[in-house]
Amino acid sequence: MSIVTVQLGQCGNQIGFEVFDALFNDSHCPGGLCSKRENEAYQASCKERFFSEEENGVPVARAVLVDMERKVISQTLSKAARSGRWKYGQHSCFCQKQGSGNNWAYGYSVHGPRHKESIMNLIQKEVEKCDSLSGFFIIMSMAGGTGSGLGAFVTQNLQDQYSSALKMNHIIWPYGTGEVIVQNYNSILTLSHLYRSSDALLVHENDAVHKICAKLMNIKQISFCDINQVLAHQLGSVFQPTYSREGSFHYRRNPLGDLMENLVPHPEFKMLGVRNIPQMSENSLAYSTFTWAGLLKHLRQMLISNAKMEEGIDWQVRPPLSGLPPLGKMSVNKETHFNTSIANLVILRGKDVHSADVGHHRALKRVLCAVRMFSPVICQCQSPKFILLKKGKIKTLVLVAKRNPCTSM
Amino acid sequence: MGRRRRRQPDPADAARALPEAIAALSRTLPAAPSPEIFRRAKFDRPEAAPALWRLLFHVLSPLSADSASVSFTLEAQVRWVKSVLHSQGYPRLALVQLQDDGSQGGRELLLALAWLLARGPLPERLLTQSHVRLGDEMPVCECEALASPGPPAPRVEAEGSVDIRHLQWLMGKLQLRWRNLMAGQQEQCALLGKIHSYTRGCHSDRSLGHLSVTETELLRDPEGGRQLLQRLETENARLEAALEWRHRELVFWRWMDTVLDTCPLEASPPTFLPRIPEPGAGAAGLPVRELQALQEELQALQEELRKAVEARRAAWQAAVGGHGPEWRAARRALQVAVAQDLAALQWAWEQGKGQARPHGPRRLVRTEARVPGRLGLWATEATEALRAREACLEAMLHQLQGQCRQELARLVGVRPGLIWVPPPAR
Repeated sequence: MSIVTVQLGQCGNQIGFEVFDALFNDSHCPGGLCSKRENEAYQASCKERFFSEEENGVPVARAVLVDMERKVISQTLSKAARSGRWKYGQHSCFCQKQGSGNNWAYGYSVHGPRHKESIMNLIQKEVEKCDSLSGFFIIMSMAGGTGSGLGAFVTQNLQDQYSSALKMNHIIWPYGTGEVIVQNYNSILTLSHLYRSSDALLVHENDAVHKICAKLMNIKQISFCDINQVLAHQLGSVFQPTYSREGSFHYRRNPLGDLMENLVPHPEFKMLGVRNIPQMSENSLAYSTFTWAGLLKHLRQMLISNAKMEEGIDWQVRPPLSGLPPLGKMSVNKETHFNTSIANLVILRGKDVHSADVGHHRALKRVLCAVRMFSPVICQCQSPKFILLKKGKIKTLVLVAKRNPCTSM
Repeated sequence: MGRRRRRQPDPADAARALPEAIAALSRTLPAAPSPEIFRRAKFDRPEAAPALWRLLFHVLSPLSADSASVSFTLEAQVRWVKSVLHSQGYPRLALVQLQDDGSQGGRELLLALAWLLARGPLPERLLTQSHVRLGDEMPVCECEALASPGPPAPRVEAEGSVDIRHLQWLMGKLQLRWRNLMAGQQEQCALLGKIHSYTRGCHSDRSLGHLSVTETELLRDPEGGRQLLQRLETENARLEAALEWRHRELVFWRWMDTVLDTCPLEASPPTFLPRIPEPGAGAAGLPVRELQALQEELQALQEELRKAVEARRAAWQAAVGGHGPEWRAARRALQVAVAQDLAALQWAWEQGKGQARPHGPRRLVRTEARVPGRLGLWATEATEALRAREACLEAMLHQLQGQCRQELARLVGVRPGLIWVPPPAR
């Protein structure tokens, strides 16, 4: 099944390019650990999901590019075409001239209705090219005007027009120190709208990825390109073909369906996060060896202690083991910083995957699901809630939100 | 010359007839035990019981449970068989009273098996279910799925309080799985269409014109072809066994009579009528006449029972009828409503009487022109029938949703201090 990607705004388009590049390079890299037949099956599956075939044989990404200014889109198109290995469709982009001025309302209420027809037509053409549609993957940032406002509008329209298709929004959480002065307003408005119309929100925080680049990849001058490449690597490892533990003969057909079924069945808990391991620069790769047991142990502790990267994990944090606190009486224990997530999904890639033992992960999931946070009556009072992990301006705006434990892997 | 001596019936033949009949039955049923087990079961030997429980499980469960049946313990199978037999109206209480560990009750299980065999063409039905299909088939109606008992579900203990969020989680998971299923089916249809159009002209049978998936795989992969051949051969063997069973089954029924005789008497009256096979030639006629006499006796008993029930009901109504005018008015309103529903049903049935409702799985064949005089169901007709059914179900859904809303409104009034926030309309 195929995924149609909608890239919105400057951030969305730049990340989108890196994602397709990473996916293509991964599926076409020579060598590897598998037989030729398996390689071909992997390539075919990846290609069917993200690329369509054109006459001269160059794969065309199944994507629609939308931005309110020309510059970034033309850069993206030329970068893709330059590589010669894959490209974007010539008529799959939509741009205007004036931009959105970092104004959410401009994106949502002005640009949206004005250009609704053209954008939805482009998406429809991409959908028609697919044999079968797994869903939509919408990449946007929350700080600017186009990504956030227009993104919210487009997602709503996708919900109306393709109500049976799954939608995953990939959201870039802006730097805490802020690139845009009104980013907090834009973020709140985007999240509240997306919570209603999207099926899952996959969040990547600029701060976290920046730290990964600095500490683990040892990059001196971190540009957005580096950040985007790390992001694309994480997304690629989520979306490339997988097979389940039980049926390892064919690759699973419906990537979005699998993710959503396991992670976001509950209508109120939709926010997802990704953690991957190991993270290092290519130079260090030659000097390292890995075992599944070691990697999984680190990953588990990263999850429990809510660490976003491999370094600086707090090994003191433990899940609550003995007895569960009675319903309605539990006080949020500030000292443990135990990360409560509703559901976790582990994707393993590499040599000897079948030998990896995720037994303790399953136990972890059971414990996490059983922890009560607040009694249901209080939770239901307000309209959609979201994570408030950041201190500062955001917290003062939204006074009565409750902590929503829904980061999952 | 010489008088041709009439052949005496060889007593050894008679002794062989029963094991051969049972062997034929074993060969045609799935997972059936040997004739020796049947003999031991008549004398209620313990080793016979587990095999017969498993046989009943396989006979009663729908096709999909076959592959998953390995994961069910004997105890789970026993419980499930009991519940299914009860829901189908099996009259003997002794079966329900058997222990759950499946260690006893061979004789009761034999009787249950005989009851199932007598009710309808069981071996033939099972063979139809497990029939090897060469074409791409699609069911046009869901009668079969609705009629068969569902697969065994894991036992869920309901403790005191239920976590609403867990329920929401499960509901959401169900909805997402449903959506994934729909998407998967659409993908399958798109791909089938492609295969059918690519292989046009390849089939030797002109009326079909193109290959199905199984046939295409046959050409691509010789190993698959060998496996298909094996499956066809086993099915053939089972069909032959079924034919042999039909020839020999009277011996089996006579033997079942003796099994019934060895059982202690039960108080409950039988509520089923055994199916009487067609009166065959000669010797087969005698037991048929006996069976017919038995059937008449059973019908007389049922009539007696019905009269007794009616007398009792009249007595009850007389006792309870003096409740007051509101009760009578409510009852009248109920009768009117029921009469309306009945009239609506009749009208709906009469409307649809002209067209026969399509049933069962059909092979998918892709053709261009509508050839006159061609048998088979056209997709447009099937779609129309399905749309009518969909409209019916939607009307029912709306009615049920209205009832739920009324119930919610009633509950809201009960607790005035509570604020209710309905979910956002999707």
